[in-house]
Parts: sequence; C-alpha cells; structure tokens
Amino acid sequence: MAFIELKNIDAGYVKGSPVLKDFNLSVEKGELISLLGPSGCGKTTTLRTIAGFILAEQGSVIIGGKDYTKIPPNKRNIGLVFQNYALFPHLSVFENVAYGLKRRKVDKSLIKTKVSAVLELVSLTGFEDRLPAQLSGGQRQRVALARSVVIEPDLLLLDEPLSNLDAKLRDEMRAELSRLQHQLGITMIYVTHDQIEALSLSSKIIVMNEGLIEQIGTPETIYERPATSFVAKFMGFDNSIKGKIESLDKKFFLINVDGKIIKAVRTEKTDLTTDENVSIFFRPEDSFLISKEEENSLPVSVNYSNFQGGSTRYSVTSGKTELSAEMPGKNNKMGKYEFIKILPEKLIIERVKA
Amino acid sequence: MRNNKLFTAILILMFIFLLGPFLVIIIASFGSETIMRFPPKGFAMTWYEKAFAIKMFRTTFLISLKTGLAATFTALVMGIPAAYAMVRHNFPGKSKVELFFSAPAIVPGLVVGFALLRFFIYYTKMPVIMGLYLGHTAILFPYTVRVVSASLRNFDPSVEEAAVSLGSSPLHSFIAVVLPNIRSGVIAAFILAFITSFNNVPISLFLTGPGVSTLPIQMLVYMEYYFDPTIAALSSILIVFTVIIIQSAEKVLGISRYM
Amino acid sequence: MNQINIKRTLLLLLLPGSVFLLFFFVLPLIFVFTESFHGSTGELTLLRYTEVLKSKQFHFVYLRTLKIALIVTPLAVLVAYPSAYIITKMTAGKKSVMMSLVILPLMTSPVARTFAWIVILGRFGLINQTLAAVKVTSEPLRLMYTEGAIVAGLLQLFMPIMVLTLVSALENIPEEVEEAALSLGSGKTGTFFRVLVPLSFDGLIMGVTLVFTGCITAYVTPAILGGSKVLTLSTLMRQEALVLMNWEGATVIAVIMIVTTLVLYNTLRLMRPRSL
Repeated sequence: MAFIELKNIDAGYVKGSPVLKDFNLSVEKGELISLLGPSGCGKTTTLRTIAGFILAEQGSVIIGGKDYTKIPPNKRNIGLVFQNYALFPHLSVFENVAYGLKRRKVDKSLIKTKVSAVLELVSLTGFEDRLPAQLSGGQRQRVALARSVVIEPDLLLLDEPLSNLDAKLRDEMRAELSRLQHQLGITMIYVTHDQIEALSLSSKIIVMNEGLIEQIGTPETIYERPATSFVAKFMGFDNSIKGKIESLDKKFFLINVDGKIIKAVRTEKTDLTTDENVSIFFRPEDSFLISKEEENSLPVSVNYSNFQGGSTRYSVTSGKTELSAEMPGKNNKMGKYEFIKILPEKLIIERVKA
Repeated sequence: MRNNKLFTAILILMFIFLLGPFLVIIIASFGSETIMRFPPKGFAMTWYEKAFAIKMFRTTFLISLKTGLAATFTALVMGIPAAYAMVRHNFPGKSKVELFFSAPAIVPGLVVGFALLRFFIYYTKMPVIMGLYLGHTAILFPYTVRVVSASLRNFDPSVEEAAVSLGSSPLHSFIAVVLPNIRSGVIAAFILAFITSFNNVPISLFLTGPGVSTLPIQMLVYMEYYFDPTIAALSSILIVFTVIIIQSAEKVLGISRYM
Repeated sequence: MNQINIKRTLLLLLLPGSVFLLFFFVLPLIFVFTESFHGSTGELTLLRYTEVLKSKQFHFVYLRTLKIALIVTPLAVLVAYPSAYIITKMTAGKKSVMMSLVILPLMTSPVARTFAWIVILGRFGLINQTLAAVKVTSEPLRLMYTEGAIVAGLLQLFMPIMVLTLVSALENIPEEVEEAALSLGSGKTGTFFRVLVPLSFDGLIMGVTLVFTGCITAYVTPAILGGSKVLTLSTLMRQEALVLMNWEGATVIAVIMIVTTLVLYNTLRLMRPRSL
C-alpha cells in the first residue's frame, strides 16, 4: 500500500456539489508529486482535503496506513506552505518557526536548537528577531518553509508557493525546494498551474482537469507523450489539425490530412482503428517550415511572423486550419515557406468525439 | 481648474460650519456674565468651577462612565464571536442574521428606550440602572460587530489555517493568532462604542429614575432651568476630550476607516 | 472540522448576541407594538391610533418633521458631494486629517454640539450681536426655537455621515474611469455628473437614507433648538410620555416613528441600482 491513499473521495466547498468526485490518488513515501492544472481543476481541493480543511463527504484519506478521514487538521502531522506565506504578522521569525514545536510541547532548549538548525537550512540565520513585515518576499517564503519543516511533518503540502515571487526569485526558490527535498527526504505534494515548475521539481506529475485526473506520469512522459488533448494543450501542443486514419501497423498510424499522408508514432496502448476521425496535436517548436515538399509535411501559406528574440514564430494556414511554427533565429524568407513538416514521434493523436 | 476651486471653497465652508460652533462655545465658556453672550464680556473661570461644583454632574458622570464601560465590554464579548462567524463562515440565512444584528442601529433609539421602559421597568419591575445598561448594550452591539468584522476581513484566513496545521486548536489559534492581529480593530470598536454610549441621549431619556441619570440627560435637565454658561463650560470640556481621543485614535489606529 | 462541528461552532458564536437581542431588544418592541392595539381593559382596538391620527397637533408635527428632513437632506448632499470629492483626491496623510476632522462632530456629545448653536443663535448670540454691531437691526431677531435653528443643528449633525458615505463610495471608483471620461472629451463638470455621480449613486442613496431617517428620529437637536415651541415627532413623543403622562399616545407615536423609518428605509433601498 502506498504512503498516502485517497480512496473514492467526494469533497468540495458546498455540500452536495463536490469538486472532486470518486477521486483516487496514491503517493509513495519520499516522492515529490505535483498536482498540475488550471485554476478550478480541483488541485487545491485535493490538497485541502489531505490537510483536513475540507472534510470528505465520501471516501477515505489514509496516510502511513492510518485512517485520517475524520481527524481534524490540527491533529494531523502535516506541514502546509501557503501561496501568500500566511506568516503570523505579530510574531518574530523565531516565534513563527517555533510555533508548531510549542504546540507539540517540545522542550524549550530543544526548540532553540531545532529552530536554529532549520533557519540555517534555509539560510536565514541572524534573522530570528525580525518581524515578517521586515522581510522580503523570498525571505518570507523561506520562513514559511522552515516553519512547516521544523515540525518534521509526515508530509509537506505546498500550495502554489512560488506564484507570488518574481521570476528570478522563483528560479532560486525552486532550486532551494529541490535541495531541501533531497536533503530531508520528506514526501511533498506540490500544487501549481505552472508547467515548468512541475516539470523541473517533481518526480511525478498529476495533471488535473474539472476534478478528474487526466494523466499521471513522470515529467518526461507528460511532456513528450500527453495522454489526452487536454494535457497536450496544457503542455504546449498548441497546434491541432483534423484527419482520418487510413491504415496502421505496429509502429505507425498513417493519417490522411486533406489528401496528404501524415505518419504518427503509435506508442500508447490505443484502440484507434482505421477510418476513425482523429485530431493531431503538435508543438509549434516541433514544426519546421520548408520550401519544398518532404515526407510528413503539409502545404501551408504564411500569414505573418513575430520575432521573439531567440526564435521567430510564424502564423500559417493549412487548408482551413491555423497553425503556428517556431524556428530559431530571425528569418526573412517568409514568402518561400510552402510546407510545414512534423516528425512522427512528436505527434499526439486523439479520437474526435462524435 | 475652476471646478476644483469651487469644490475646495465648499469644503472649507463646510468645515467652518462643522467646527466653528465648537470654537464659539469654548470662547463663550470663559465669559463672566450669567447670560450667554458672544463675543463674551470679561474673562472668568467661574462656570468651570460651577460645573465641577454641581454634585449631580459628578454623580451622573460616574453613571455614564460605568454604564459606558460595562455596555461596551458586554457588546464586545458578544460582538467579537458574532463578527467572526459572519466573516469566516457562510451559512443559510446569513443576510437575515446580518440584518437582525444591525437592527438596533436602524430602530430609533428613542423607541428602544421607551420600549425598555414600558416592558422591563414598568412591567417586570427591573431596576432602572439595569435597563440603562441593557439598552446601551443593545445599541452598541451593531457597532462592535461592524468594526470587528471590518478588521477581520483584512486578516488573511490562511494565517489561521497555518496555525491549525501546526497543531493549534481553532480556539487556541483564535486567541494566539487572530486576536493579536485584530487588536487595533477591537480597540477602535471599544473607543467608538464607549463614546457612543457616553454621548447617548435617546436611549437614556426614558431610562432615568430617582438617583439614576446620565451626564447628557442631566445637562439637558439643567438647561431647562438655567441659562448661564455652566453647560458651555461642561460642553467645552467634553469637546476637548473628544478632540484628544479622536485625534490620537486616528493617528494610532486610523479610526476613521472603521466608521 | 466536520459539518456537525461547524454547526455547533456557529451556534456558539452567534447565540450570545442573538439571545441578547431577542430578549432585550425584540421582546420589548413587540410588547410596545401589541400594547398599542389594546384598550384599557385589554380588548383589541384601533382607538389609540384614531385618537392620535385625529389630532390636529399630530398632523402638524408629523408634517413639520418630514419638512425639516426634506430641507436638511438635499442641503447635506449639495455640500457633502463636492467636499467628499475633494477629500478623495487628497494624499493619504491629508485625507486622514480631513477624515478625523469630519468624524469629530460625529463623536462629540450631541448636547455640547447643539448647545453651541444657542451661543450662535441666542438673543445675545453671535448673529444678533453682529447684526446689532453693524446696526442692521434694532431689536434682536428671534432665531432660537425656530424650524431654521433645527435645520442648522441637524445639518451639522448629519453632514459628517453624508461625507463619510460619499467618500467611501467615491473612493471605490478607479481613477482611470475618470481619466477615461476626460480623455474621451468630457469636461470636468460633465465627468462629475455623467460618470462620478452615477457610479457613486449607491452610496448617495445610502447617505440619503441615513440622513433622512436620522432627521426624523433625532431628539437632542429639536429638544434644545426647538424646545416645546417647535415640536417634532421625537420631542412630541417625549412630551406625551414624560410631561403629559399619556403613555398610550407615546406608544402610538413610537410605532408610527418605527413604521415611518422602516418604510423610508425600504423605499430608498429599492432605489439603489444593484448591489455593487
């Protein structure tokens, strides 16, 4: 049995209309798992259900083999890091970090050693007497981390902890989180709507949408082989074009798109067969614009281009479908591009629902 | 901008109209005559001495003070939990409860005082001072709920959740984390409620009896019989005290945002 | 916390205030209300109402009270709107000073505040002394115990409420909206009337409600500045109860006062556009 098990959970904010319905999730000990999805997808609800702030109407929450379903949040040994830090404004850094230890009636001298150790861990030694208002955003977030780590929680929950920081600080904190996780080996569940954050931090990603799990997988799988159109779009497969499966073998689908044949790798177990209508998804970055027809290419006309610094993004039309392509460098050969080419292994296909 | 000049002129005139009378009364209180004349003739402290010498003013001042403190305290004790429930919880019928809690501020105070007199003093023979305390508590309650709610709304609920996730019970997290952070709101509520009680006339008007009256009521009674500037002196003292309290409360707490 | 726990906590939080108000606020009011429909032997009757409603004095006083409120409220709006607008445009520090000056009269003892008007309007007061000094009048004017005196007193009493309500309404309008109107060619005055006033209409109605109902129920101002010569609804009620010992009459006036305020309160609430 996994370390954390959510079994058949119904949970939400309004009784009778749960955000999560018959929701199941399991997390292994020591994992850093990300719940990824747009706002309203149920990722925060999942987190708050594990923390105990939302009580499941149905199902059970099991942590370390023990049933926590009906245990109040203050009796669960779970650390929580909030998006807006949620530091106690009237307490110093030391008192903030010591708060949970005091609730656990830890010996005074031991509190001192533990707090000093954890403050050193987050490089905040010397800031003990400051009030939260006297700290920068990054420092506040580190205090929040220290405060929830010092109680040696069975599990650390992080709710978009980096979203209030600016881009540079976010990168630093991401590295720091990664380091902390390796150093302490705590099981972490990390909620975010940022793909890059999820990809760079987690050992496993759970993509959620409308209270359901769309896909569970390693960052590589999620990035390379999204299982559904939702995950594909969320991971940047911005282009989609319709086609019909003409034939298939063990390795490839051959898809007819407006009379041209496009080859797509057949990796997942799939029940797609001949004559089915499908959508083909691919990333602008995985597409090449070329001037002569090659294998796996479609005729296009270029509408306009947008220089983006390291690359140039082109808006093109193939048949009646608008597509984008992104290619390195600045390129002025707009008029000469006549075809868009995509590699078979970069294509994701999904059945078009009737 | 012509428009802004006109508007500024109106603002200045408004302040003269609002605050000018205070200046007038303070100046008049130092006159030496027994009639209210402005500008006054002579300079004397006579009316201040007289104001302090009259025993009824001293006793009613104490009654006002005690009633104000007791009613404010009671209203806060009931108002803080009520405000917490209203801000942090959603429940069916919440807007009705909200209306119910603000009713004492909507119903005319004169009618509330009258009703308390008719029902409790005449009908159930409750002591007058008790009726005074209860009536004041009732009208202060909406104030405390409103002011405490305002400061609770400014306090991020996830800070409480942080305390709970670190092992605090909801009650402990309220006492150790919420209360210290809404302190200035609670103090503002205390000041506003106390002043409201201390100045109140409509409720107290009907709730007076032998030996029981408040300072404002006593001042009104005095004015019916005497026309000398004693009331001007007493009023000046009250005005100066109010100015000091309000100005320092505005500096420290920014009290005007709770009004 | 589970559902049952939340319910219990809510109940514990709301119970003290609710029980208190039920006993010491609602119950006495209900008592007075039912009492007003009972005759001297306890029978149900409208006699008390017909007696009061027949009285010429009551008609006169009731209409006068409404008239005073109808004069004070628009005057307060006229002065408070421009003032509130200027205050919202000030820097934070200056605004705080202005606000504390505005709430000062609100927090001062109404007896003290109203007494000041005796010094201004009295026989030897500021106005009569000034008029005598410039020899406009030979006899002092009778300014006290007039409707005008009550209007002045009430205007000073309620102006701060109107200003506070309008300041918070105007503050909620983003500066950009005003700038957008100006950039689209609206003049300053046009912007004020076509953009700011409509956007703060909700606050305006709120202020009007508070001031209007306040005028109808105010006691201290008409008591001092109108005395027994110029009675309003509240001073009449007090006279009936404490001077003439006519409890029945006072009870009926109390009920009429509540009904009037509630009717006004709800009518004006209907005028509010939508809860913004």
